Amino acid sequence: MSEPIIAARDVDVFYAEKQALFGVDLDIAAKQVTSLIGPSGCGKSTFLRAINRMNDLIPICRFSGSLKIDGQDVYDPAVDVVALRAQVGMVFQKPNPFPKSIRENVAYGLKIHKMTTSKSELDDRIETSLKSAGLWDEVADRLDEPGNGLSGGQQQRLCIARTIAVEPRVVLMDEPCSALDPIATAVIEELIDELRQDFTIVIVTHSMQQAARISQRTAFFHLGKLVEVGDTDAVFTNPREERTQNYITGRIG
Amino acid sequence: MESEHIVGRFDKDLTKIKNDILKMGALVNAQIKGATDALMELDTAEVDRLVATDRKINGMAKKVHNRAERLIALRQPMALDLREALLAIKIAGELERIGDHAKSTAKRVRKLSDNANAGAVLNSVGEMSAKVQAMLTDVLLAYRDSNIELAAEIRDRDPEVDDLNKSIFAGAITAIGENSADAETLVHVIILARNFERVGDHVVNMSRQVHHIVTGKDLKASA
Repeated sequence: MSEPIIAARDVDVFYAEKQALFGVDLDIAAKQVTSLIGPSGCGKSTFLRAINRMNDLIPICRFSGSLKIDGQDVYDPAVDVVALRAQVGMVFQKPNPFPKSIRENVAYGLKIHKMTTSKSELDDRIETSLKSAGLWDEVADRLDEPGNGLSGGQQQRLCIARTIAVEPRVVLMDEPCSALDPIATAVIEELIDELRQDFTIVIVTHSMQQAARISQRTAFFHLGKLVEVGDTDAVFTNPREERTQNYITGRIG
Repeated sequence: MESEHIVGRFDKDLTKIKNDILKMGALVNAQIKGATDALMELDTAEVDRLVATDRKINGMAKKVHNRAERLIALRQPMALDLREALLAIKIAGELERIGDHAKSTAKRVRKLSDNANAGAVLNSVGEMSAKVQAMLTDVLLAYRDSNIELAAEIRDRDPEVDDLNKSIFAGAITAIGENSADAETLVHVIILARNFERVGDHVVNMSRQVHHIVTGKDLKASA
């Protein structure tokens, strides 16, 4: 594995008394796609949301252990969570464009983080982001139309453009294609493959075929524990652990 | 023993493929025995039946191929299941080729039947046949039971078959030198020995394929 950008050590997460993650140690390589797979309730989304402290929004959620991005402790009390989430962006299961124009959706993060100094620079960043998200050709002549007027697949690509506009180090994706049809899914998968040139991507997916297609590393979670992590080819052709084999071959739910 | 799939039809589909291979293997082994018996007794009456049965074997290989293709398309198997489906196609191919060698052996009975002396020189070919039949029986057991130790042991037995082939070849060449009148018969014997040596090779391939299914490691690729 290449040099990790994210290093999790002995990560436990609790929702009140219920423990959702048990001592997870996981390194995530830079500029690769890492898939987190496992049955519902296995802790994969909890782990994903721990990376940019989205779990902080849940009052009963408690984290222990260590999670570092580029050596910086994400859970250090001095960390500015808003800045962290600009560095570690997130794309959700259901496309969630703001009730604003296409242009304003992409400009939003750039404005609140004051990342541009002129309108022309802002326009350039909007165009670059929409191009990177593979959406520019479809929306270039209607940037002032509402973002939620786009199709589901286009809305998801708009959300990706919004996320990458602020040039995060890491992009987290929580089942980004589960609400999309197979064609829109294929477009997003192609996009993810291109985005990994510039971003580290961690994706939670219930589609094992999708994990196999798009990721270079795969981590399998079960009952809150990280069972196995390895090169995607190896995990899907010859997993080391019987529990992984049972899951990917459809023998446990 | 693997646990069952959540989707019961998946298990049934895989079991059907496995049973088809085992049935095919039993029929192919009977073909080798039938062809060898016909050879030993120079019984030309059996040849047509053996040739007809080979067509049935080809049909069985096609059936395995179709079932595996359908399973891959509909169930998108992973890991062990994918290897079961893909290597079933290869194993059926090996069995189909063994069937061809049995057919070739059977057809040669007609060419040898005019030669009253052929019986004696065919004994060592019969010995080869017995060895490859036993190897084939065992490799089918290894496949049925996912037994990689038995599969490995079968590979260790193949050199005995190769040695018999070399010995038959050397003996035939010497005999041709001594009496060229028997040359045609002896060339047939060389070809027959070569047939059984190839059967041994196909059985060895099957034993490697069993290893590949069970362990995920392709011995041929790592050799």
